[in-house]
Amino acid sequence: MKTYKLAAIALLHFCLLFILSGCWNNKDINHRVLPVAMGISKQDKEYKVILKIPEPHQGTTQIKIVSATGTTITQVVDKISMNMESSVDLLHVKVIIIERETAEQGVKDIISGFMRARDVSAKALVVICDEDLDEFFSKIKKTTGPEGTTLFDFFEKNAGWNPQIALTRIWMVYRSIHSYTHDVAIPLVKSGKSTMVEQIGSAVIKNGKMVGEINSDETLLVNAFNGEGIQGRIEVMDHASVLIISDRMEHKSKLIEQKPYLQSQINIKVVLLETRGDPSTKVIKKELEHLLTNRFNLMFTKFQTSKADILGLGQFYRTQISRSQLKFWRSKYYPHLKMDIKFHINIQNEGYLKTSSD
Amino acid sequence: MNSSLQEIKDKIGNNDDFFFQRDYLGEFPVVLMAFKTLIDLPKTKKMLQTNINNPFTINKTLDEFLTGIGEVKEQDSKEAISSIMEGKLIVYLENIPKFVIVEPVSKILNRAIEQPVNENVLQGPLNSFTEDKDTNIGIVRRQMNSDNIQVISLAVGNDQKKSLSLLYLKDLTNIDFVHKLIDQIKKNQDKELNHLQDLSKILGFSPWVAISKYHTTELPLEAVQFLKKGRVILFQDRLPFALVLPSLLWDIFTLENDRNYPLPLTIAIRGVRIIGLLMTLLIPGLYVALVAVNPEVLRIELALSIAQSREGVPYPALVEILMMLVILELILEASIRLPRSIGPTITMVGGIILGQAVVEAKLVSNLLIIILAATTIANSTVVGFQNSLTIRLFKYIIVILASIYGILGIVAGMVLVSAYLAKIKSFGIPYLNLKFAKDGIKSG
Repeated sequence: MKTYKLAAIALLHFCLLFILSGCWNNKDINHRVLPVAMGISKQDKEYKVILKIPEPHQGTTQIKIVSATGTTITQVVDKISMNMESSVDLLHVKVIIIERETAEQGVKDIISGFMRARDVSAKALVVICDEDLDEFFSKIKKTTGPEGTTLFDFFEKNAGWNPQIALTRIWMVYRSIHSYTHDVAIPLVKSGKSTMVEQIGSAVIKNGKMVGEINSDETLLVNAFNGEGIQGRIEVMDHASVLIISDRMEHKSKLIEQKPYLQSQINIKVVLLETRGDPSTKVIKKELEHLLTNRFNLMFTKFQTSKADILGLGQFYRTQISRSQLKFWRSKYYPHLKMDIKFHINIQNEGYLKTSSD
Repeated sequence: MNSSLQEIKDKIGNNDDFFFQRDYLGEFPVVLMAFKTLIDLPKTKKMLQTNINNPFTINKTLDEFLTGIGEVKEQDSKEAISSIMEGKLIVYLENIPKFVIVEPVSKILNRAIEQPVNENVLQGPLNSFTEDKDTNIGIVRRQMNSDNIQVISLAVGNDQKKSLSLLYLKDLTNIDFVHKLIDQIKKNQDKELNHLQDLSKILGFSPWVAISKYHTTELPLEAVQFLKKGRVILFQDRLPFALVLPSLLWDIFTLENDRNYPLPLTIAIRGVRIIGLLMTLLIPGLYVALVAVNPEVLRIELALSIAQSREGVPYPALVEILMMLVILELILEASIRLPRSIGPTITMVGGIILGQAVVEAKLVSNLLIIILAATTIANSTVVGFQNSLTIRLFKYIIVILASIYGILGIVAGMVLVSAYLAKIKSFGIPYLNLKFAKDGIKSG
């Protein structure tokens, strides 16, 4: 008798498991639409959202571009979802493409919305597009192969990423909006003529607004400074071209009379690839040091005038400036920062040929 | 006629294979009784004759002579009957109220010691236990060759007597545990013993435990090693394998034969078995969870290709996988039932139908077939068929939980299974005891 009672209770609990779980809301993967890229532009007061959706179709994948407008992004997505045969699932969105004008007006609302709603993964990349979004997406549709993930592969570290492309994710932009001392660079792209995407450089974002632009070479330095790794990058000079294989940095920060000073040393290991004439390693070293230092200083002055701390130098002063003063890092301290940067080059390998050292 | 003789005749005399013959043993009139089907009559008679004609027996008294040919018993018809049933020859003395149980030349009703049927041995001793309990004990003694082995035999059952033998090592096994075991069997000695469920009843285990409380093995090498680890081996007559008590979780992954390889290989082989167990439990659930509940965990490329392979499949993932798993269970079950000559047909038909046609008919996705194949293969890596059955059952719990709660459900299912395993005890020894051999039964 007792066993029957127990069995009945167990059965009841098992049934409750199904009734109470709400598992009928689960949709199988083939009934979900999985957009890989999302384009956002703001026109007057309305958002226009474009979704790039790879769709399996008789053995191959076809790209579908869907767009709609509305007052909020969620409303637009909902609209698209309503009009499509399967429901839109934003969890796989890997790239958010924002139109340049929209970025210049500020992306604070968009990014906060993503962070709040959790629909889009906070790891999704943010990209700024330097042309009309409709045009960009229609060109992409023409040039994309059948895999459907090309736009994402362009930024993927184990696929098409290069060290001169900035990698910035949603959470980093969100951090830059709210942090006193850290800004970000967002890759700036447009559709290419022969390739799908053409990288122009990077947009300098300060407090969620685009305030400037840097080119690819400068982006590389930013990446190096942020420790993203610049392996495999070829640097061309007057007398030689070299392959950078590793970099290491040391920083010393000082605050004297409310003026920040920073001493940085960047050690770079290179491999010699090609020479023009007969330069000695000493000459090559000197030339490379000179080139990099100049490039860095030029870029840094640009940052200082736009008051955007992309390198995150304010992080070094977090312990030296009080919290209440840190609020003014960008306006009061950062423009007066004296930076003394030194590049130290180490030629690791000269290839199969000997090069004189003097 | 003697009353007790009449009693025996009344009770089993109606059997056509009952042998009843008056004869003379020297000058004494005797009655010989036995089952023709159990003993080899002509040889047995010849043996008796040689005993009588033996020159040494001439000067002996009757008592001395009788003890010479067998076990002399007082008149007790019950004991006589049970001896006849066991396949002994009864020499009934008509004048004196005594009978002798003679060990006859028995008919060979056992198969020879053969290679194991249920377990495969690679590079190890190839003999295996047979149905005859005494042979099995002999094999163990031969394998171990130690004066430490203790054999205790007990008869169980009222109507039909079944004998059980306990083997253990005197100095390695916890005596408390052995006593508990023997007491438990003695307490339930009147219960019937036909199969392992009956044995569980006798040993006082709950019939609803999903895990076998005995580790079974056909291989003497394994059995002896279990003895050395301080376990008790139980032989039931007519059951061609050793029951190892207590059964522990680690037994699922280890075979003693692993140790015939270099140590790194032993560890690797055991690692494969652990992976096999985890895969069987997790993969079907993972498929359901990733396809239906949490596709965001997948990489986008994989998500797209899975979506593509499921294009046009009418059922939700849970129905899909349950359907195929059930068909798979049917194949497994059918291939055990079928005669060996038709067995390959099932494999072929199952392989073709499941592998190709079902996918082409768009009833299930490609990926599911891969998942099923991996599950079935992985399932067979664990040691002991009874354990693989248990895992097969547990995987359904995880599949159902995964279909409801996704990845979280899988984790919850694993916790559930682990908690269940942690609960199981036999004679106070937890199933998850990993160091049983080293420090004996502390908690017992």
